[in-house]
Amino acid sequence: MLKLMKYEFRKTWFTKAILLAITALAEIVYLIGLYGDREGLLATGVFLLMLLAVGGLLVIGLGSVVTLHRDMNTKQSYMLFMTPNSCYSILGAKVLECGISILITGAVFFALGALDITLLFARNGELKALWDWVRELLSSITINGRSFLGDIRLQSLLSVSFSLLAGWLLTVTTIYLAVVISSALLNGKRFSGLISFVLFLILSWGCARLANLISGSIGDYFMLMLVNGLICLVFSAVMYFVTAQIMEKRLSV
Amino acid sequence: MLESKELTKVFGSKTAVDHVSVKLEKGHVYAMLGPNGSGKTTWMKMAAGLIKPSSGQVLFQGEPVSLNSRKHVAYMSTEPYFYSWMTIKDVGAYYADFFEDYSPRRYQALLQRMELTEGMKVKTLSSGMMAKLKIAVTMSRDALVYMLDEPFNGVDLLARDEIRASILQYATEDKLLLLSSHLVEEMEMVADRALYIKEGRLVECVDLETMRSERGVSMADRYRQIYGHTEG
Repeated sequence: MLKLMKYEFRKTWFTKAILLAITALAEIVYLIGLYGDREGLLATGVFLLMLLAVGGLLVIGLGSVVTLHRDMNTKQSYMLFMTPNSCYSILGAKVLECGISILITGAVFFALGALDITLLFARNGELKALWDWVRELLSSITINGRSFLGDIRLQSLLSVSFSLLAGWLLTVTTIYLAVVISSALLNGKRFSGLISFVLFLILSWGCARLANLISGSIGDYFMLMLVNGLICLVFSAVMYFVTAQIMEKRLSV
Repeated sequence: MLESKELTKVFGSKTAVDHVSVKLEKGHVYAMLGPNGSGKTTWMKMAAGLIKPSSGQVLFQGEPVSLNSRKHVAYMSTEPYFYSWMTIKDVGAYYADFFEDYSPRRYQALLQRMELTEGMKVKTLSSGMMAKLKIAVTMSRDALVYMLDEPFNGVDLLARDEIRASILQYATEDKLLLLSSHLVEEMEMVADRALYIKEGRLVECVDLETMRSERGVSMADRYRQIYGHTEG
């Protein structure tokens, strides 16, 4: 499995290297703006870093889907499927590599965001006062006697981030399933792409509904995020097993 | 060693392989013959476990082809299949990672013989060089079965000689070699048995020496009889 993961990383490292280089550039722009008192550059840096955080996660997830599609629909599929590895291992390596990449990317941008905000406050005391005022204001907003958005703590931010990353992993594994169904079960049939896209929408909707049924009664917003994240991970595992089973039984390359 | 039982593959309305039953034994070099589209490649891919049969089965040492058979069956596709980012060295490293029977020393020797160097990038290779690389890395495995699909495609006469010599060098008594091609004269120099496939069906599997002595026909003569329009 580790060897398969190594090659999954080799297939996608170039995209990740470009993402890393652009992020480093955006960070430099931000720091020049911050320490050179150039507000235009500071704003540009903030905008670029936020764009990269969202775009980077999208690119990594979708890049993994493109690789899977190529590994099943071009001759390079032989490189994987003629080796003595089961479809569970082959797909497992893809899911793990993608999941770890998403997690690391999320963690890097989270840490970078925290660092940049800290630097900003250290440089500009007035902004720190403004931030404290905003936090106080948010804390005063209560629903049924409980703070709604207030108390912005590290663990709260982490639970939201975890939920978002797990949700994105679920989306990627759902697309995996749709791609495999298109290649293994609908290969050569008319509208196979459209059918698998509709299937992806139905599965995504079904997962969201089911997650809502399970966690809908949880009142605490941040606990809700945590549970939602866990549900997404369980659903991702289900998608993985169903996809690998279809590959094992039906896929011809 | 390798057997197909009533093996059939249907793609939509076309039957690519039609109830093929045949038993291949070790210690022989088989030529799988037939024009393009006769079902040779599909049969090989099913034997390699890359394509799922519509019905029937392929057995390796009496067991259906599986992960275990992939450890002992070396398959070479007619199309290039290496990742485009690879160098020739990467290709060897990949095989070393996944095949226990891979020999780096044999790979080095074959590369030298084929006049290929490890630093070359796969995507820059000519079709002839690519054909040589595929042979080199496939024959670097100490497999029990070698299945080479169109190994002489797109290569010049001298390269063919190299490829033929490389293949035969490792065709020992405990191995089974199956080569497909429509270059019949080329195959006649290599094989001792032949399978003639026509429109997905197996016409016959013959021992070439027996055919020559008993029927007085060569591999090429028989090919003309089966596939020719005027003879047969």
